[in-house]
Amino acid sequence: MKFITAYAHLKENICAVNGEMICRRDKDSGDSWFKQIYKQQEFVYPKFHKMDVLSQAGFLTSKLIKRANPQFAEKYKDDEIAMLFANQSGSAETDQKFVHAYRNGAPSPSLFVYTLPNIVMGEIAILNKWYGESLFAVLPEFDPEFYINHCHILLSAGSEAVLCSWLEIAGNQIDVFTFLIEKEGENRSEFTADNLSKIAFAGNLHKTEINANY
Amino acid sequence: MSVRITGIGVVSAIGLSVQENLLALKESRTGIMPFSFLDDDKIFLAGAVKATNPVLKKESKTQSQFISRTTLLGLKAAREAYGNAKQHNQIRTGIISATSVGGMDQSEQFYNAYLDGTDADFAMLGTHDSGSTTERIAAELGISGYINTLSTACSSGANAIMLGARLLMQGKLDRVLVGGTDALTNFTVNGFRSLMIYDEQWCRPFDESREGLNLGEGAAFLLLENEKSIRFSGNRTLAFLNGWANAADAFHQTASSPEGKGATLAMQKAIEKSGISPSQISYINAHGTGTKNNDLSESVALTNVFGDQVPAFSSTKSFTGHTLAAAGAVEAVFSVLAIQNQLIYPNINFSTPITETGLEPVTILQAEKPVHAVLSNSFGFGGNNSSLVFSDHA
Amino acid sequence: MDDLKEELKRQLIEQLNLEEITPADIDDDTLLFSDKGLGLDSIDALELIVLLEKYHGIQVTKPEEGKEVFRSVNSMAEYILKRKG
Repeated sequence: MKFITAYAHLKENICAVNGEMICRRDKDSGDSWFKQIYKQQEFVYPKFHKMDVLSQAGFLTSKLIKRANPQFAEKYKDDEIAMLFANQSGSAETDQKFVHAYRNGAPSPSLFVYTLPNIVMGEIAILNKWYGESLFAVLPEFDPEFYINHCHILLSAGSEAVLCSWLEIAGNQIDVFTFLIEKEGENRSEFTADNLSKIAFAGNLHKTEINANY
Repeated sequence: MSVRITGIGVVSAIGLSVQENLLALKESRTGIMPFSFLDDDKIFLAGAVKATNPVLKKESKTQSQFISRTTLLGLKAAREAYGNAKQHNQIRTGIISATSVGGMDQSEQFYNAYLDGTDADFAMLGTHDSGSTTERIAAELGISGYINTLSTACSSGANAIMLGARLLMQGKLDRVLVGGTDALTNFTVNGFRSLMIYDEQWCRPFDESREGLNLGEGAAFLLLENEKSIRFSGNRTLAFLNGWANAADAFHQTASSPEGKGATLAMQKAIEKSGISPSQISYINAHGTGTKNNDLSESVALTNVFGDQVPAFSSTKSFTGHTLAAAGAVEAVFSVLAIQNQLIYPNINFSTPITETGLEPVTILQAEKPVHAVLSNSFGFGGNNSSLVFSDHA
Repeated sequence: MDDLKEELKRQLIEQLNLEEITPADIDDDTLLFSDKGLGLDSIDALELIVLLEKYHGIQVTKPEEGKEVFRSVNSMAEYILKRKG
C-alpha cells in the first residue's frame, strides 16, 4: 500500500496545505503572488527571488509539505526520495521571456537556465540535498494514472518516497498541486486514482468558492 | 533482467540513417560545420542535419500543414527504428519521446512573421508544445496506447529509454519505441552563448584546451520488445539494455558538482543493476560535451567509479555536436552499433589530457577488440544524471 | 567614483534580483562571490557580464576575465574607469 501523506494546492488566489487555506492573494500588494506567500510564511532563501515561476511554485509547495510533515525528510536516506513532476506547458512562461530578451539583443543567462521545466526539480534537490531519481513529463492534462504507474515504478526501484507535482503555470492561470507519496502513512488517504482525483479536485472547488466570495 | 532492443533509427549531422551514421563513425568524419540560420548572417559551428525541411516533409508523407523540424527529424528516426511493425490487438504498444525545444523552430518563424506584420498563422503555434512532437510522431506511426513526452534537459533521451525499459519490465507494455529529438534553434544557440559555453572552434571533449560545446541536431529511437511481442514481430534482437539509473547532483542549476556526485551515483547504480562487473565494460560513450565544467566533473566521476582502471571512452559529440534531448538516444544507438560491429569510436580533436585527472579518451577507431558491454552517460541541466548499460547478452 | 559605486550597487541588486538586500548592505569591498559576502554563483557572474554591457557598454568576452573584475564593487568600478579611460 501507498499513501498520500501530505499535499499542497497553489491556485490563482489561494494557497492551501492538506486542504486548509493558509494564504490568500492580496490583489493590492505590490509583491507578486508567490512572493506574498514567501513573505507571509517567513521563508528565508534569497535564491527564491532569482527563480522562475515554476521553480518558485515548486519551492513553496515542497517547503509547505515539509512543514506539514516535518519528520518525513529525516526518515529516508538522501537518495531515497524521488521526484515525479509533470505539466502541460513545459517552461513556456519563461521561454517567452527569454525569446523577448534575445530578440532585444541581450540574452539573459539566468533566464535561459529556467527554460527547462526540470530545473524546478534541480532546485528542490539542491535545497534539500536529495540525490534520488527525478523525472519531468509533459502531458495533455492532469492524469492520476500517470502518477500511480510511475510512483509504482519508482517505489519498486529503490525509492522510499516520491514528491509529486502537477505544476501548470500559463499566463495568469496557476494550477499547482504538489503531493507526497510514502509507503507508510497512518490515517492517511490511500494512494488510488480516485483519492488522488478527489484531492486534486478539492483545490479547484476551493478556488471556485473563493472566487465566488469576491 | 534485461530488455531486448530490436530496432534502431538515427538522424544526425553525420547521416540520415543508421548506415550513414555508422559509416561516418568508421571514417572518423565529423558532421560539425560552419552554419547559419536563414534569417541571420551569423556563422558558427554546429552539427546540422544535412536535409532541409521541405525535403524531410516530402519524404515523411505527412498531411500536416504545420510540422516542426523537431517532429520531422524525430519521425524519420522513429520510422527507421519501428520498421514495418504492424498494429496487433494483443500487443500493447507505446512511445516515449524526449525533447527540450519542441516546436521552437516554428515558433521563432511565427514570431518573426508576427513582428513584421506579415502572414503570421496562429495555427503554427500548435506545434510549439513539446508534447505535440510526440503526438504527431505517434499519429504518423499509428501508435495510440501509451504516449509520453519527457523533458529533463540533456538527459531526456536516456530517461525515455529507461522509462520504456521499466514499463516493459513491469508488464505495462509489450513493446515501446523510445528516444528523443531536437532541432537547432536560435533559442538554444543564443542560450548556450549567453552561458558562455559555446565554442567558436570545433568542440574538443576531454581536452585541456576545451572551451565549450557545439550544438547539433538530430533524433534517434530504439524499439524495445518483450518476448511476447517478438513472437508476433519475428524481430531479431540487436542488443540488450541491461542496466539503467538516474540520480540528482543537487549542486547547481547548470553546473555539475566538482566531485561528480550525481554522475558517480548514476554510473554505479546502472552498472550494479546490469549485473555486469565494472571490469567487463568494454567502452564508455561519455556525455563529454566539451565544456570545462562537464568534462572535468565527468572525468572525476569516471575515476570515482573505475579507479585507475577506466575503460576505453570517448565522446561522439565531437561528431554530431550536442543534440540536447536527442543526445542520450543518439548515443544509445551508437552504443548498440559499437556492440554489433565491435567498434570503439574515436574522440576527435583531442590532443592534451585534462591536468586534474590525466584521463585520455580513445583517439583512433578501434575495430580489433571485442565489445561486449557499453556504458552510456547523459547528464542534464538541473543536475539530472542518467547512465545506461548495453550488452550483447541478456 | 563614489557615484559610480552607488550606481553599481543598485544595478547589482536589480540585475541579480537580490531582493532582500539594499545598497547599504553592500560595502565597496564586500566579496561578491564569497559565502561571507554576497555568495553569488556562476550564473550571476554571467549576468554581471550582461550588466557591464547593458549599463556601461563594456564587453567581456572571456568569463575568466571576470574573476578579478567581479571581486567587489571596488574592483568593478576600477575596471569600468580603466576601460572607459
